[in-house]
Amino acid sequence: MSARLAGTAALLVALAAAPAAGQQAPAGKAIYEKWCAGCHGSDGKGDGPAASTMLPRPRDFTRALFKVRTTSSGSVPTDADLRHVIDDGMPGSAMPGWTDVLSESDRDALVQYIKTFSTAFQQKPDVVAFSKAPPENAAAIEDGRRTYEKLECFKCHGRAARGDGPSASTQEDDSHFPIRPANLEENWRFRGGGSVEDIYRRLRTGLDGTPMPSFNDMLAAKVVTDEQLWHVAQYVRSLSPKEPPEPPEVIRARLVEGRLPTSPDDSAWNVAERAYIPLVGQVIIKPRWFSPAVDAVWVQALHNGRDLAIRLVWDDRSRSPDPRWSEWQRRVTEVMGPKEDSAAAPAAATSGTSGSDAAPPAPADRASPAGATPAVPALGDAFAVQFPREIPQGMERPYFLMGDARNPVYLWYWRSDAPAAVEATARGLANITPIPGPSTLRSQAVFDRGQWRLVLTRPLAAPGGGDRLTLVQGEAIPIAFFAWDGSNGESGTKGAVSAWYHVYLDEPTPKTVYTTPIATAALTAGFGILVVARAQRREKQGGSKGD
Amino acid sequence: MSNRMARVEKLFVIVAAAALAACGGSRPDGEQAASGAAPAGEQKAAPAAPVADAATLTGTIRFTGTPPAGTPIDMSSEPVCAQKHPGGVTTDEVVVDDGGLENVVVYVSEGLPAQTYAPPAQPAEIDQDGCIYKPHVVVMQVGQKLTIKNADGILHNIKTKPTKNRPFNISQPTTMETARTFDVAEPDIPVECNVHNWMHATIAVFDHPYFAASANGGKYTIGNLPPGTYTITAWHEKYGTKTQQVTLGPNETKTLDFTYDGNATARAPAPGAPRVAAHAHPGTSHGAAR
Amino acid sequence: MKSRLSHPFVQALLILAVAYLLFRFGIAYIPPLLGVKSAPVPHTVLLQYMLTVAVGVLLYVSATEDRWRAFKAPIQRVLVDPSQRLYRLALLVTVPLLAGFITYRQVRPSVEAPPNLRSIHPAPPSTITFRGKTMTLAGLENPLRKEGNLRDHVEEGRRVYYQNCVACHGDQLNGKGHFAHGFNPPPADFTDNGTIPQLTESFVFWRIAKGGRGLPKEGTPWNSAMPAWEDFLTEREIWAVIIFLYDQTGWTPRTWDTAEGGAR
Repeated sequence: MSARLAGTAALLVALAAAPAAGQQAPAGKAIYEKWCAGCHGSDGKGDGPAASTMLPRPRDFTRALFKVRTTSSGSVPTDADLRHVIDDGMPGSAMPGWTDVLSESDRDALVQYIKTFSTAFQQKPDVVAFSKAPPENAAAIEDGRRTYEKLECFKCHGRAARGDGPSASTQEDDSHFPIRPANLEENWRFRGGGSVEDIYRRLRTGLDGTPMPSFNDMLAAKVVTDEQLWHVAQYVRSLSPKEPPEPPEVIRARLVEGRLPTSPDDSAWNVAERAYIPLVGQVIIKPRWFSPAVDAVWVQALHNGRDLAIRLVWDDRSRSPDPRWSEWQRRVTEVMGPKEDSAAAPAAATSGTSGSDAAPPAPADRASPAGATPAVPALGDAFAVQFPREIPQGMERPYFLMGDARNPVYLWYWRSDAPAAVEATARGLANITPIPGPSTLRSQAVFDRGQWRLVLTRPLAAPGGGDRLTLVQGEAIPIAFFAWDGSNGESGTKGAVSAWYHVYLDEPTPKTVYTTPIATAALTAGFGILVVARAQRREKQGGSKGD
Repeated sequence: MSNRMARVEKLFVIVAAAALAACGGSRPDGEQAASGAAPAGEQKAAPAAPVADAATLTGTIRFTGTPPAGTPIDMSSEPVCAQKHPGGVTTDEVVVDDGGLENVVVYVSEGLPAQTYAPPAQPAEIDQDGCIYKPHVVVMQVGQKLTIKNADGILHNIKTKPTKNRPFNISQPTTMETARTFDVAEPDIPVECNVHNWMHATIAVFDHPYFAASANGGKYTIGNLPPGTYTITAWHEKYGTKTQQVTLGPNETKTLDFTYDGNATARAPAPGAPRVAAHAHPGTSHGAAR
Repeated sequence: MKSRLSHPFVQALLILAVAYLLFRFGIAYIPPLLGVKSAPVPHTVLLQYMLTVAVGVLLYVSATEDRWRAFKAPIQRVLVDPSQRLYRLALLVTVPLLAGFITYRQVRPSVEAPPNLRSIHPAPPSTITFRGKTMTLAGLENPLRKEGNLRDHVEEGRRVYYQNCVACHGDQLNGKGHFAHGFNPPPADFTDNGTIPQLTESFVFWRIAKGGRGLPKEGTPWNSAMPAWEDFLTEREIWAVIIFLYDQTGWTPRTWDTAEGGAR
């Protein structure tokens, strides 16, 4: 306790001394102004011009609260911790790694400069002593799963760990911005890194400035063992693929015999390749959307020569509309709501207008936790699969963002609040019209613990004609994807989009694929025998000559 | 004491014996400050000479107007907690009993000599019981240990959001105890649980032992004060700050009341803004000391 | 050992093996050890290199009659020597199988996206209409370079860039913003010397103002996610962000003197 007092005294002395230290122009200032201030702000308050387009917001250095540390909850990070984030960036956020741009000494200077934004750095970091990882095996992962349940991680992260727990919709960071619990199936987006060791360290230290607490005290209280905490980390790591997924250029629809699976959870889907398609915010036309809730869709496709079935799996923390999420919807809309209206008004938008909205939004009166009756529209979730109206022969394709008036696109458009998916024509993002007449498109969707699984099926032929694309085997067919999370305030131009990809319907393998190699092998063998025979004949002749 | 107990029971029926013990543990601490016993205890630890001719300041935080009805809390997602509130439960930020406003922090904000006071040996306590913080307002001293308990045995995280101290955010997934201290005075540190977004409390930390939290029908007592002239500040999380001057003679016991008008001052402070104690309508504060 | 190494057949095999390893792995992985960036050699190029080496080896082994005979001797032995019967049989089986396998890899149905060629710097139109105002691009200079304080323009451009461009082009201006991975073609990398240093500021103005959809016919397949910024920004803001782009990257714009009447 006297140590505490001494610490306090030291802090006070340091506080008094701080302005003097600030007078010597720090070497990192110029680098900071050039490369960091655009997001983090000249004063380090996390309020640079880019800040309002980002969620999570850039770090506010004046609070000295850092997510990725090796120090105890509430402690300032070590210099090495700050360097680590500057070097490697924060995956899943707008913060890149800087090793390619800044020299080591520049990055060190930045660390020192960042520390001038808060007097908290006069305190010594309280470094946590980490243990070594125990061996990883099935039993360890199972123990990790049980411990995950015991520690009630699911309260925020969800039973299936997709960041969809019962408390997920109420989370906010220390600056009162809405914050999503991590989707633990996407370790390549973990801010502090996706390795077992990274996850273990975040459990020990917590992520300061966020609702994620430290589990350090719990070890001291012997609630679980350190080894069990490692097992949690190993379990969480096991939920993600071994390597971060890479999008393919072509989604392959295998040719199968007989009926296609129409249910999203049919085991027949196991044979289909899974294609990872990243989705990003629609930031191209007004109103833009910088905070999409859906970051990827996993696509599988199968066909049987008559029908094509596409299975779409995407993580979405809410089955919208959901009253438990209406307060979240209100907050996100308020924080990320575009400052531009859809009517293009290019008038006097000269300088400094749309920029710095650094002021955090006023959160709802905390006296009404249930959220009385926020005036937000009840929006469903939606998904669209986009095709051209016909397979392009040249390189020209419709505009990837749902076409335009000149060159529309053909959509399979599904909504969680509609009975079935519909076929539609789109002439731009805000202009989707269902194709009239009977449709042969079938849909089946399930929502399961923070995940939508949707199967869309249609005959290859398009009997209805019109804008409907006739699907052809053996050709790369352009395809693109769009997702909207209603509880995230998404609809219309506010949603997640993808580029054009291709879907390829396998053809029945022609017989020549097998006959040609056999013929080649036979020819080669014949030629070889000929060569050998000839050589041996010559040898004999030569031998007899030589005799 | 019994008065307060009754009031508490009106709000929550405490089931777990452990919870009772825990609450019982935390209450005397709050009571001590209110009854003036604690400062006496604290003074033993203080390096300064025992206060001669010590004066006592006491009073009531009066509440006029209609107290707002608490918002019902839906605890159906936490059966363990819901069981502890068979009659339902509402938010507890405005507690008015017998015309007195409770959970108001009253403290000496000016007039004390520049001096360092050693912290009391007895820890302050806060419990998470029935998914409610008990007490709702913790008053304590710099360097004093704060014991954080979890009577519920389900996951709580206890997160402080100070502006002058360093924060902490720790997980308590089961019945367990954790201890923390604060380094600098800060009279309004918000506490929250992110698992249960209705759970809020305030920790008031002072660098001297002259403070209290109103209880028992809005009553408070600050004892063992050296004679002198002081500025006394009262702070309530919803109704804001009021200050009054008071002069205490040797061995004097003075009454200093504060009045909050529930109709006039019903304004919710935005927790988003730094919670700088704004001076509330001076017209509503009670006159000088009686 | 020495005698073996001096055998032309062994020499030929060694040269081919070393050349293969060098082309296949050396080019990709040795320069990075010295701090120079590199990339793997494409398969078609590798094949070409190996054929060249093979021709060289053949020339070498057939340069003198003795060497040619020595080179041929082991081949001849495998073909005729009764003691090499097993080798002979093995080769007669494996070589045809290999040929068959290679053929299969060639003829089996491959799933590839159609080629996605596009013109990186298509010819700009002679004039554009910017919010109702006709602008002639040829000879057009950045008006902000002649007025006010350049630092002010850079700072204005910095604000515009961070408010509008970072999500795709990134805060390192390298086209790796946090949304870049969702778009194809990828956003332009301004740090690459093939981008803005090759262009006049008027060309950059045109690309910013009209975006991906304002590309001429050779700019298809209409995939660029570049917005038409005339919907968002004023003329002045676009000129300012152009100044910022050159200032932050350290490039200088192509001038009309060197560009001879137009950017490529």
